[in-house]
Amino acid sequence: MNTEFEKLKIVTKYELLKQFRRKRFYGALIITIIAQVLAIALYKGLNIPGALPNPLPDSPKLFALFITSVGLSIPILFAVFFAGDSITSEFEHKTGYLLFPNPVKKGTIVVGKYIACFLATAVILISAYVVSVIALVGIYRQLPVETWGSLGLSVVLACSVLSLAFLFSSLLKGGMGATIATLLTFMLVLPIISSSLSYSGHEPWFMLDYAGDSIASVYGIPFAEMFGGMGMRATTPDPTVSFFVMLAYFAFPFILSIWVTKRREML
Amino acid sequence: MNESITIENLSKYYNNFLALDNLSLKVKRNEDVALVGPNGAGKTTALKILCGLLRPSSGTAYINSINVIEERERALSEVGAIVETPEFYPFLTPNETLSYLGRLRGMNGHELKSRINEVLKLVKLDEWGNVRIEKFSRGMKQRLALAQALLHDPPILILDEPTLGLDPRGMVEMREVLKEARKEKTVFFASHLLAEVAQVCDKVALIDHGRLLVYDSIARLKRKYRTSLEGVYLKLTEGAI
Repeated sequence: MNTEFEKLKIVTKYELLKQFRRKRFYGALIITIIAQVLAIALYKGLNIPGALPNPLPDSPKLFALFITSVGLSIPILFAVFFAGDSITSEFEHKTGYLLFPNPVKKGTIVVGKYIACFLATAVILISAYVVSVIALVGIYRQLPVETWGSLGLSVVLACSVLSLAFLFSSLLKGGMGATIATLLTFMLVLPIISSSLSYSGHEPWFMLDYAGDSIASVYGIPFAEMFGGMGMRATTPDPTVSFFVMLAYFAFPFILSIWVTKRREML
Repeated sequence: MNESITIENLSKYYNNFLALDNLSLKVKRNEDVALVGPNGAGKTTALKILCGLLRPSSGTAYINSINVIEERERALSEVGAIVETPEFYPFLTPNETLSYLGRLRGMNGHELKSRINEVLKLVKLDEWGNVRIEKFSRGMKQRLALAQALLHDPPILILDEPTLGLDPRGMVEMREVLKEARKEKTVFFASHLLAEVAQVCDKVALIDHGRLLVYDSIARLKRKYRTSLEGVYLKLTEGAI
């Protein structure tokens, strides 16, 4: 009989195969690359550094900040679509009747599904990153070291958003509901709380959306000031603190999603 | 222990609805037992608990003396199951699906490949092995469900309405497979089709409102009530919905 680790590898392999067989994966990949190319064209075509409320001289770092903010954020949103129906579909579409009566722990299944969703997201993230690197090297002949930090933080952000999606997927009855709930939480509820905290003079360092802005703040350019108050926040997140905050948002919802799935019955 | 399946005082509530009421029964090794009863009698609930898909409100169940509630994975290692009408991953083919499930059960390499071919041939899906399941009819999915239940050649089969969705030829073929399987396996299956039950099984457990009404061999029941299996069923479930 296989060990639980061998079973995990098997679950991951076939869950990944399922992700790669879906059109939405390729749709997400194409949209991300188009958005990335468009961001590069807009930056150069509209002379974004000069058009900012507080204009800045063009630099590889500013360019990297602009395009990685776009290119590394979009795949994270697609991660929600990969993960939203991951657990709940086993119950909603009754495939759990096939999978769960096998001698494999539900926890192993959840972890395998998570790794597969993460790998699918990582492929898109890295593709976006490669486009950024090609543009940076092609235009400026240099690659700021902060782009690595930005990629690393976007990977951690993707992990935490996936965890959130997994939690909703383990709790809710439908995949669509879980996807919408995650998107609303990440794009509406958390930003409203963060902005409210910012307005009242409290830095929302512990909020996931704020911590996610570290993808851009890692370049050391104070982008809150750069936009001349057009943004909601007066502060920029500290990348190190944000890293640990995102790690916490990864760990707790993920552990909770495993616990909920273990207890959930195939009614 | 000589029992393949032991159900002990099993009760299951869905909110306030009592689906299983202190159900107890034992299925001996290599016995073929049908669980019959009216709609809502608790047949599927009992099978789901045996397959680790539901937790009982009280009581317990054993497969080969292994507690299903406490050691789900170990207990299920010797079980092949069809529960309700299982759905398959539409983006995978039967070969990939069976390969996935077979590997989870520790099969691999040539052994797995030849066993997949064998079971697909058995359920007459050998020409569909590389076609995505999204194109399959309900009957084809039911055949595939039987293939996955037999894949690892388990000593115990737990089947919920195995002929559901099959055309008449499919039903006959499924019965033949089950008749063959019963020679060396314990078969515990739920069905509404009493004619099918009479062909495939020796014993029936008749339940209603989650309670066991009778559990005996078909021959003895016919003798005792001096009627057909259908007559026994109607007599004992009189007044049921």
